[in-house]
Amino acid sequence: MKEFVALPSRTRTLMAELRSRLGDEGPLPPAPPIPVIAPPPVRVFPSPRSRSRFAEQAAAHTTAMIGIGHVGTRYATDVVLQFQAELAVAHEAVHTVLPEDWAASKGLLSLKSRVADHHQFLLRPDLGRRLDEASLGKLRSSAKRGVDVQPILADGLSAVATMGSGMTLLEAFSAECSKRGWSVGTPMCARFARVWLEDEIGQEVGAKVAVILLGERPGLGTGDGLSAYLVYDPRIGKTDGDRNMMSNIHLRGTPPVEAASRLAVLTGAMLEQRTSGVPLDLSPLVAQLGDAGGTGYRAPQKRVRLVETS
Amino acid sequence: MILEPLPPKVLSVRRIPNADPAVLLAYGADPARHRSLGLVTCDQDDPTYVALDEATKHARVDVVFAKSFWAGSKHASGKLSGEILGVLAGSDPDEVDEGLAAFLRCIEHDACFFAANDDASIAVFPHVISSLGRYLSAEAGLEPGQSMAYLVAPPIEGTVALDAALKGADVRAVKIFPPPSPTNFAAAWLTGSLDACEAAAVAYAEAVVAVARGPIERLPGRR
Repeated sequence: MKEFVALPSRTRTLMAELRSRLGDEGPLPPAPPIPVIAPPPVRVFPSPRSRSRFAEQAAAHTTAMIGIGHVGTRYATDVVLQFQAELAVAHEAVHTVLPEDWAASKGLLSLKSRVADHHQFLLRPDLGRRLDEASLGKLRSSAKRGVDVQPILADGLSAVATMGSGMTLLEAFSAECSKRGWSVGTPMCARFARVWLEDEIGQEVGAKVAVILLGERPGLGTGDGLSAYLVYDPRIGKTDGDRNMMSNIHLRGTPPVEAASRLAVLTGAMLEQRTSGVPLDLSPLVAQLGDAGGTGYRAPQKRVRLVETS
Repeated sequence: MILEPLPPKVLSVRRIPNADPAVLLAYGADPARHRSLGLVTCDQDDPTYVALDEATKHARVDVVFAKSFWAGSKHASGKLSGEILGVLAGSDPDEVDEGLAAFLRCIEHDACFFAANDDASIAVFPHVISSLGRYLSAEAGLEPGQSMAYLVAPPIEGTVALDAALKGADVRAVKIFPPPSPTNFAAAWLTGSLDACEAAAVAYAEAVVAVARGPIERLPGRR
């Protein structure tokens, strides 16, 4: 960045001119050199001054903004820019609406919650948890009933994620279930859907396990993450304590194909133990569940730089 | 030599990184917003006011205290007292440091008194502030960014010169401080466009020099 040179004093220049106009030409004492103003600090994180080995090692294992140093009491310029860029990615994802004909174009049964528009969807989670009348009729008339597993693709809080890797995950998960010999429900996609919508859908089709795959609440820089929520014996009135979930299904987290097999393992455990959520015992399955087991080593992560500062 | 710069001498620069709330309150700071103080004394008060204002343009600091001492630096209470104590307050030491750096830059290179006669026994401060900071703009009731001529001279010179400045340029008086100020000077703040402020300052300095050269005017009818 460029250095700034302070301007010479205007008042002193004026007085020097007036002085010679008034006839005093004697030499003035030399003026002090004009100072150079140091450029404002642009630091790259982690800033060299605040570098600590612990922070560096910890930061290598997460894309969370830790170990980013500081300039005075503030963040460094590039940290602020990166933060704003990542926040923009998240905003973008939240405000993207799943097109009405997207499900049909992918050959999925198209459903919709009781929400009227995207704005209402963000403000009224309760409406997003129930199907509207038309969808309910469609579900009753054309969905396969009495299945072992009912996978549901949905937009959730990130239609970007659903349109990105939603189909890959849905197809991979359905294939894993079929491979294990379970009957899989009609592939369907719900718009303006919240997690609990799986209760009503699962109840209507009489599924043993309902699995909703939906775009998760975007975080900094991740607008493309999917989450999966599984519930055994879906019925309206089930709580989050009855659910198991897997988050961060995206390329920098758990890739969709790998997630599909882990979800199948979870589903298998539910079918076997006939329960889900808190009562489900996952201790024998830790090795197969990977991160979902909760104790795994987390490989170093690389932050995607959205902004470059020179 | 007339109109030679008389460089101000900074007599002390001290910081209090985490000031006691009682001190903050007593010196006009707000403990909710301010935590650190930067204190300066100088042997010329008016350049200090200008330089403190300059600091508010370079850092998030407030000038919470700035007062001239009675009768000026030649009658100071100690060799570090000078004729003014200025206090910058900021939310943290970094802000205060940045403010003090701007203050020192301004006082070293810009704001200063000038000699109005050959032995510098008369001094004039015909300073042009091209863009006001948050401190002097509030004191003057102007907007930050406006131009202001900050004019100071001893009582008789300052009075004659103020009239000359107001007549010599398209400016208006914002505040006039008739003598005696705490340091026994006469001062005035004039505003207008930057060009007008510069013309006013030049007219002011010229008039001060004229009075210094001919302090006793010959009256009509007297020999």
